[in-house]
Amino acid sequence: MSVVQALLIALFVAAVESRALGYATLTMRFSPLMAGFVVGLVLGNMPLAMTTVATIQLIYMGVVAPGGAMPSEPCIASAMAVSTVIVGNLKPEAAVAIAVPVGLLGSYLYQLRFFMNTFAVTKMDACAVKADSKGLAMWIGVMPTIFSFVLFVPLMFVALYLGAPVVSGFMDTISNGPVLHVLSTVGGGLAALGIAITMHVIGNRKLLPFFFLAYFMQVFANMLNTQLTAVKGSFSVPMIFWAIIGVIIAVVYEQLTEKSAE
Amino acid sequence: MSEEILNEAVAEAPLSQDYHDYLNEDGQIVADPRLMLGEENKPEEITTKDLLKVWFRWWWANEVPHSFDRMVAPAFTFGLMPVLKKLYKNPIMLGEAYQRHLQFFNTQAVWGGGIISGITVSLEEERAKALNEGDVDGAIDSSMIQNTKIGLMGPLAGIGDSIDSGTVQYIFIALFLGMAQEGSWLGAVLPFVCFATATFIYGFLFTKMGYTMGRRAALEIMKGGKIKSIINALGVLGLFMMGIMAAKYVTLSTPLAWEMSGKAFNLQGILDGILPGILPLCAVLGLFFFFQKQGMKVTKAMLGFTAILIVLGAIGLL
Repeated sequence: MSVVQALLIALFVAAVESRALGYATLTMRFSPLMAGFVVGLVLGNMPLAMTTVATIQLIYMGVVAPGGAMPSEPCIASAMAVSTVIVGNLKPEAAVAIAVPVGLLGSYLYQLRFFMNTFAVTKMDACAVKADSKGLAMWIGVMPTIFSFVLFVPLMFVALYLGAPVVSGFMDTISNGPVLHVLSTVGGGLAALGIAITMHVIGNRKLLPFFFLAYFMQVFANMLNTQLTAVKGSFSVPMIFWAIIGVIIAVVYEQLTEKSAE
Repeated sequence: MSEEILNEAVAEAPLSQDYHDYLNEDGQIVADPRLMLGEENKPEEITTKDLLKVWFRWWWANEVPHSFDRMVAPAFTFGLMPVLKKLYKNPIMLGEAYQRHLQFFNTQAVWGGGIISGITVSLEEERAKALNEGDVDGAIDSSMIQNTKIGLMGPLAGIGDSIDSGTVQYIFIALFLGMAQEGSWLGAVLPFVCFATATFIYGFLFTKMGYTMGRRAALEIMKGGKIKSIINALGVLGLFMMGIMAAKYVTLSTPLAWEMSGKAFNLQGILDGILPGILPLCAVLGLFFFFQKQGMKVTKAMLGFTAILIVLGAIGLL
């Protein structure tokens, strides 16, 4: 990874973690997908970046941040893990082992940002009392952004530029048979965690039958897939097809319950 | 009688235009409402364009100045600034309004932020107009604006977090994740673009709704049957998509195989004979009921579950 490449990725992470791209940063921060996309673009290996980030996304399904703090920072985790996988041309499964600890460390950094912003708040108060609109806007919008860049850019740059090759080399030596098996077990199993969190957030146990309906439809589709793939080559039911069925069921459910409520 | 004379004397004396003369012991401005009188202090009309400005500024600043002591109050103030400048022409009144909104405030961006921004604009407008007409008793006082915000921020944040970041976002991700898995960049960009666009649009609609309906808007959102059934429908779609995701992406299976009296058995084959897909289903439901019982202990669940997976993977059970 070159200096420029590491710097570009670090700048993207800082832009997301500073939230300076507005509420649009929500998906960029809560989901590893966009960070993976940027890493793929900068390092010039989009297919590997995408398959890797899809694996990480599964463990970060259901990440929500009530009150602003999260137990993990998927964006930071993804920037580091996808870079490492691409640098060492590792298997996508290896990304999980990197993403989980990096994401946990990242959440402490994000909370550090809250402390730094406390300093800006005293300046905001001083501007507010004088009705100094320019100064107020400056300390609300501009200065916290600068604080975050000062915090995130150097750390991410060092982690990517110096850290990624080291971690990558280490992962390469240990990622043989048994370890890789454990990693792919963890990756494939942790997907259950994110899905369970999302279900918990939706929170309505009365609606669980719709989960079971979809689950067994897809299990059946999986069985069909294996059969048909053997005969016809690759075959799978596209997600958009399921989404359409899901929307139809949701609309019908809504109409029926609305009627019974009247 | 002496009081009357005193009042008249005060009324005739020019009001101080120095904010220092209005500070209380906490450093907060307590402005004399008479500062709002006169043609030069007449509040300007609030237009839809102003509301768009408020929404966009709040949408942008949202968590940039996030801090532990005020949470997102500065971003909320940043959103209201253009409107407050139009309403309070006197710098002391404007300073008082800025201070009012810099107090602790925390909510979700779209449901909470959109609706409360709209409501606050309507309350501030009413207040400024009444004060300008000299109707001090009829004007909405600042504590009422404050209480409205504080009363609404929690419930609306609860709805917003679970709908926007908890459901809508993951429906979009689930929809396009397959594309990412096949290596297409669209799988990453489309969920982001769809979510950002959708929330921006309905957030602005909430802002307008909050402005036109005032405090009734929040009640409409929280108690109204229409919104409730939309939330239910989104829940159905969300759980449906999670069912698909669980069966498609949770890849737990056991390689355990043994031989008994010359016959080969493999555990996965037996499990598939009983109920195909039983292992992933058990994992998801087990974790779901863990969260239902224990609350959102994500870190605990993640570390514990990872440890279990590592052990079971290492000894060859998974």
